[in-house]
Amino acid sequence: MVGLECDLLVIGGGATGAGVAWDAALRGLEVVLVDRHDLASGTSGRFHGLLHSGARYAVKDPRAARECISENRVLRRVAADCIEDTGGLFVTTPWDDPAYADRLLEGCRQTGVDCEELAVGRALRQEPLLHPRIARALAVPDASIDVWKLVGALCRGAQQRGARVLPYHAVVAISRDGEEVRGARLRDARSGEELEVRARVTVNAAGAWAGQVAELAGIDSVRVLPGRGIMIAMAHRLVNTVVNRCKPPADGDIIVPIRTVSVIGTTDEHTEDPDDQRVPEQEVDALLDDGERLVPNLREARALRVWTGVRPLFEDAKAAATPTRDVTRAHALLEHSERDGVGGLITITGGKLTTFRLMAEETVDAACRALGEARPCTTATEPLPGSEEQHSYRLSERLGRKEGGLRERQVVCECELVSREQLEQQLARGGVASLDDLRRRLRLGMGPCQGGFCIYRATGILHEQGGITAAEADAALLEFLDERWKGSWPILYGDQLRQARLDEWIFQGVLDVAHLPA
Amino acid sequence: MSAAELGYDAVVIGAGTAGLTAACRLAEEGARVCVLAKGIGCTHLAAGTVDVLGYLPEAAAEPAPRQRPTGGPTAALVREPAAALPRLLAALPEHPYARTGRAALEEALAWLARTVLAGPLPGYRYLGGLERNRLLPTALGGLRPSALIPETFAAGDASALRRVAIVGSPALRDFHPRLCAENLRRTGVQARPLSVPLEFDRADASTLTLARRLDDRAFRARLCAELTPLLRDEEQVALPAALGLRDPHAVWSDLERRLGRAVFEIPTLPPSVPGMRLFEILSSALRRAGGRLALGAEVIGAQRRGARVHSVSVRAAGHERRYAAEVFVLASGGLASGAIELDSRWRASERVLGLALEGLPSAGERRFSPDYFGEHPFARVGVALGPQLWAREVENVLVAGAALPGALPWREGSGEGIALASGYRAAQLAIEAAGLARPARSPAGAVL
Repeated sequence: MVGLECDLLVIGGGATGAGVAWDAALRGLEVVLVDRHDLASGTSGRFHGLLHSGARYAVKDPRAARECISENRVLRRVAADCIEDTGGLFVTTPWDDPAYADRLLEGCRQTGVDCEELAVGRALRQEPLLHPRIARALAVPDASIDVWKLVGALCRGAQQRGARVLPYHAVVAISRDGEEVRGARLRDARSGEELEVRARVTVNAAGAWAGQVAELAGIDSVRVLPGRGIMIAMAHRLVNTVVNRCKPPADGDIIVPIRTVSVIGTTDEHTEDPDDQRVPEQEVDALLDDGERLVPNLREARALRVWTGVRPLFEDAKAAATPTRDVTRAHALLEHSERDGVGGLITITGGKLTTFRLMAEETVDAACRALGEARPCTTATEPLPGSEEQHSYRLSERLGRKEGGLRERQVVCECELVSREQLEQQLARGGVASLDDLRRRLRLGMGPCQGGFCIYRATGILHEQGGITAAEADAALLEFLDERWKGSWPILYGDQLRQARLDEWIFQGVLDVAHLPA
Repeated sequence: MSAAELGYDAVVIGAGTAGLTAACRLAEEGARVCVLAKGIGCTHLAAGTVDVLGYLPEAAAEPAPRQRPTGGPTAALVREPAAALPRLLAALPEHPYARTGRAALEEALAWLARTVLAGPLPGYRYLGGLERNRLLPTALGGLRPSALIPETFAAGDASALRRVAIVGSPALRDFHPRLCAENLRRTGVQARPLSVPLEFDRADASTLTLARRLDDRAFRARLCAELTPLLRDEEQVALPAALGLRDPHAVWSDLERRLGRAVFEIPTLPPSVPGMRLFEILSSALRRAGGRLALGAEVIGAQRRGARVHSVSVRAAGHERRYAAEVFVLASGGLASGAIELDSRWRASERVLGLALEGLPSAGERRFSPDYFGEHPFARVGVALGPQLWAREVENVLVAGAALPGALPWREGSGEGIALASGYRAAQLAIEAAGLARPARSPAGAVL
């Protein structure tokens, strides 16, 4: 068995875990980051892409609102490249109480969230597809954030400072030495090989799976209740501003424009299993109905993909016994030495993507306390790789950048303008195990044709450059088709159904993928 | 303002294989025919072969096929379509082939082969028939069964293929010879990839770009000069399906002659060059027989008189024009063309003539299976039929091609066979029912 030693072992490669790795690496700690799957393939990669202004919490949860607006401002500096400054609107639709806008304005004023009422005509000129009978519109600094880009940049930054990032490494056991956690034993999901990591401190950043990881350490009192929600990506930008219903937060009240799509979110159902990825058809129907209250005739637009995300909602089984000094209502930091008498282990869970940096900061502060070392946090001022210029992402620049090289650069995925060069660079960088990994890193196959044209091309390139056999390439292709189908069958109607049939024509007709050599 | 009305014996809606076949046959029998189509049909997407029956679904297969390790559906490869057809029809009595009948299928295949030979591409031929399927390499290196195929594909038949060089170029993103060759080796063919430098004026060249270049003799000479030193003895040559658009027989023969060995095409992503040839052949046959083809003519409504469709409306150049006919052939395609639509409230409709559908999943039943290769209840939907190919609720509409219910064209490897047979049979039924046959007009008098 191979062994690694480090100061900090971080379990969970979502935004929180990657944020912890980046923070700790900046403080000069030796870090190993592991995830059982790909990076950002859990809750982080399965949300709508909203960078909160805090306005959604301003009425009900002022503390969360203050955290959000503060982090929103920080991330616009240090993670500019991952953020599109769309701005946000809260609009009063005919189904909403017009007086709620006043409560929201007041809540924002008290929590320091910039909020300004716009004339309805101006809001409608800005977003012409909005319901024409909206009564009020408030502008807030919401934005959209590309989480795959973010987690990629966090990991790259950490790696540049010596961190080891190990996707597809599942924790099979947490090593305990009496009352001290000493690291973990991992299994490489691809090779099956095991790996022992000895760490001075282990961080459980497994989000909705944090309870399962804590159990491996013999702690059964970490209760995370996964809240399951579905989201639907609609083709194209129905809106260019994040649009929220101006009412207390509920199901189906937000549309987030991100990259080339608009995401309607979300539902909220309790589930026992964080791996529950069901998409009930009645939830799809309800979400589309809700979306139509913001953008009428939304049902006529193409729905590209539907998916389920699980929120990690922390319920503290030891609430009475634990001082809440470090625990906000938004997220939970558990120092198990104090809480459970088990040293060397910290759990960070709950929270939301917008506050991942703050969560990471508090976590690494706790880790430094445990190590007895004073190392100040610098993530609020140190820009992530790619964000040094503090230039935020603009959708309109995408085509301009590609157009210049059209004669020289082969485009593999036309919908998302992914070039062969980008694909080859990504493969050379390593860590890519599947076409779905390429999808997360490059947005390959995420556009209207859902991989109809690019996936054969990408399979060919993966086989040529990725050092895999034809049988493995075939399996990767079939796995991608399977994954894609999971996200499309519940929303197959209208033009997207036509598209799916055309794709079937290519895959099952011309390429006959159902009968590849056995 | 009343719309202008044009009168025909038959109006065919759709310009895919089914529609063009029906229209050609009607015109050849002397009927006055017009094809109205929103756009080009399936030909430009499909491989350009006529797959009649490639796989028997589990229910019809004997012995039961093994579950594939790759997760594909269970289906048995058909080697002899003629022998497998009765088994298919015994298991699926509502299948489109049960409505066309076997005779029409056989006649249609022979008719297509004759039409290709007499067509505008000199010397270009289709080979094969119902007796046996050829197993043709796909761009992934699998083998796909097909009954009637272009001559330019024939040397790829795996039963005769021993050694082959799969030729591609980094400049062609739609063909990956390494993957193709390695998979082919797993089927027992000694295949190896060859890469040649090709230069196009843009980086996203398709097989169509290559086909246009290969139409040029000088380009072929340069390509063969590059290839010749790389080839081994007794090795055949496979290229992506791009061996010429205007004169494929000459392009293919020229390559075989220059390279001194058999050369064949492997179909890949659209646009399909062999499919474009087939479209050219069928539309030219239609023109020669005196029929008319109107592309960009989307049918936007129908006028009924009692239980008959009297005319259909087309919006063209800013005004509405009506086309009246004795018989209409609805060959507008199925879900892929948008002729059969499912909306977000899960209501399905036939968009062209507003006809009733059959094969719909009942309320509460799933439309699609969560398993990609599973049985999708919605996939067999089609226009509700009366006897033979007649639509159930109107008297003078025949249905052909993907608008027919009851088939799983890609699963069965039957799409083009159904299109061809049903288009052919629809023309026969129209002629019998409406007495449309007239003395055929001479091609010279047929120019419209």
